[in-house]
Amino acid sequence: MNLSDMLHSIQLSQNSNTVMELVGLNKKTKEHGLMLTPDEAKSLVISRNKVLRDHARVEMSIGVLKELIEVFSASPYMNQEYYIDTLNELQEIFYYLRNETEDRIGDTKLIQRMNDYYNGPCAGSIELLRSKMEEFAENYRRDISFPDSIYKGDE
Amino acid sequence: MEFNHKSEHSRRISNKLIDQSRLKQNQYTLSLLQEGQRSGFISNQKAYQIQVEMLQVLQQLLLQHTQGESSSVTTETAEGMMTSLIYAIDAYTLHFKNPEEALIQLNNKSIKEIHSKGVELLRRYVDETKQLYQEVKKLKLNVPVDAYQMTIDESLPVFMRHYDIIFEAQNTMASIDYPLAVDDMRLQGVFYIKQYLERLQMETSFCHFFSYQDIMYILINFGKINRFNYQIELFNIFELMINNAVFSLMSGGKATHVRISEIQFERLKQMLADSPADQRAKSVHESISQLQESLQTGQALTDYINLYRDTLVQRVNNAAEIGSFEKLIIREVKEHEKTMVFKVNENDRMSDIKMRNLVDRVLESNDTEEKVQLIREHVVSLHDYLDLLHAGCLFNKEYDALFASFGNVELAILAKIVFYEELRDGISDFLDMIAEGVETEKEWKIHYIAFMKQLDDTQIKAVGLLAHEINYEDISFY
Repeated sequence: MNLSDMLHSIQLSQNSNTVMELVGLNKKTKEHGLMLTPDEAKSLVISRNKVLRDHARVEMSIGVLKELIEVFSASPYMNQEYYIDTLNELQEIFYYLRNETEDRIGDTKLIQRMNDYYNGPCAGSIELLRSKMEEFAENYRRDISFPDSIYKGDE
Repeated sequence: MEFNHKSEHSRRISNKLIDQSRLKQNQYTLSLLQEGQRSGFISNQKAYQIQVEMLQVLQQLLLQHTQGESSSVTTETAEGMMTSLIYAIDAYTLHFKNPEEALIQLNNKSIKEIHSKGVELLRRYVDETKQLYQEVKKLKLNVPVDAYQMTIDESLPVFMRHYDIIFEAQNTMASIDYPLAVDDMRLQGVFYIKQYLERLQMETSFCHFFSYQDIMYILINFGKINRFNYQIELFNIFELMINNAVFSLMSGGKATHVRISEIQFERLKQMLADSPADQRAKSVHESISQLQESLQTGQALTDYINLYRDTLVQRVNNAAEIGSFEKLIIREVKEHEKTMVFKVNENDRMSDIKMRNLVDRVLESNDTEEKVQLIREHVVSLHDYLDLLHAGCLFNKEYDALFASFGNVELAILAKIVFYEELRDGISDFLDMIAEGVETEKEWKIHYIAFMKQLDDTQIKAVGLLAHEINYEDISFY
């Protein structure tokens, strides 16, 4: 019974419940024409677990994935064809940002910021969003090192 | 094998089938669960449920940690929190007299409840530790041993201030320099500090059996025998006192009489060198028992001294094997007749303002001779000399000029500082030390070594001889 095995089992043990939770979100997203099948939900959870491992993070709930779905499903740029791919990309960007901003910004604010860029200057382009978010992280880190920069008070 | 019926379960547990040798002090509960599963006291299903409940508590801690702002943390943070959580659970399971009772609790109570009881216990231990610390502070020996003083005055308060019961209970926080005679480094967090303080208290109480003069006598001679400045070395005071008390008893003296005479030393040397190892061990054990009895050491201290027995036997045997008891049995090192009077005094220190003025004047001057004259006129104490050298107000040739104005005694005193470790180890002779130099970033030391290298061998030897004769007690430079 080793510690990291136990932590790893968190993600695995919750799979069946989490899939149902995600499919349950269809009630909200269908008004935007977006739906998840159980298999798609499962693939999202698998991607999430991989992204978490890649970014050396542990999450005890699927709160972030649910919030990403709820917030981004309202975007005019989101469509069913690229729904899963986009959500996977968004998860990747989110956990990258989470590490780069050293856990100083809350989940909701971080997702909100991603959404603002996605719907605004990026006009639904994931590539653009990724580069904008990298820029944001770089500025944020500079702000941490030099607290007097223009970003002060942003949080 | 599963036990659904509670009384049946307890009955089996009372048969004590748990193999205690398989339990680990660190991560006690996890090893207990493994052992419980192995011997059938805990079903696999229950063990799994316990792990799931641990994760649920972890989830709560995680939310508490991020104040609900974030649902994820780095793996490192999560592992630290998990270790802290298990540490609190261990505090609870460890407080039962036997592992079987702890297993009953694990079977019957929720992990949430066990964790919160564990946290409560940890809080109590921290309070007890704080109380203990106050007692140790009161008992503290007034001896100039830096590691001892700083551990009590500076390191231990760091623990009292920063110990985090919820998120980092396993973290000991403070870095403790002063070594105990018997230390269990496997412990962590409050368990370690509590045990450290309990033992430090016992060791210090033991030292109070002896007069202040006797403790200082032992410390000073210990420094002289080892040719180092005992004030800055890492060693245990209790060990020095108990060793000499035991040697006193072995050579016909009293337990409180730690000053070993030459006659006693010779007797001990002969007695120990001539006996076989088991006989030596027997004598040491007998004398330790005699010491415990004559000092009426009390149960806790007696038990602690018992933990030290084997170490002392080992040391006596090692000393007998190499045929030298000089470093183990501390006795008075006779002073050589002082042939010189130190020209640098440890007293008469300059005030900070005067020192700053002097440094400014030295810096302003462009004339090397004038600089040296200013320094020689105003500086009398070694402390001030070192301050001045560290101030970096001299450049290249100016160092040479200052050192050239020094006599051999002053050069020897500086050698005691520059070659502290080399002189202590006493392996190479002084000529070689100068030739090899030492690695240092201090400018004045680099110039000092370079200056010494220019001297002829006769003068270097003369300085070396003086360095050998000077004791660190005579040149308090801190």
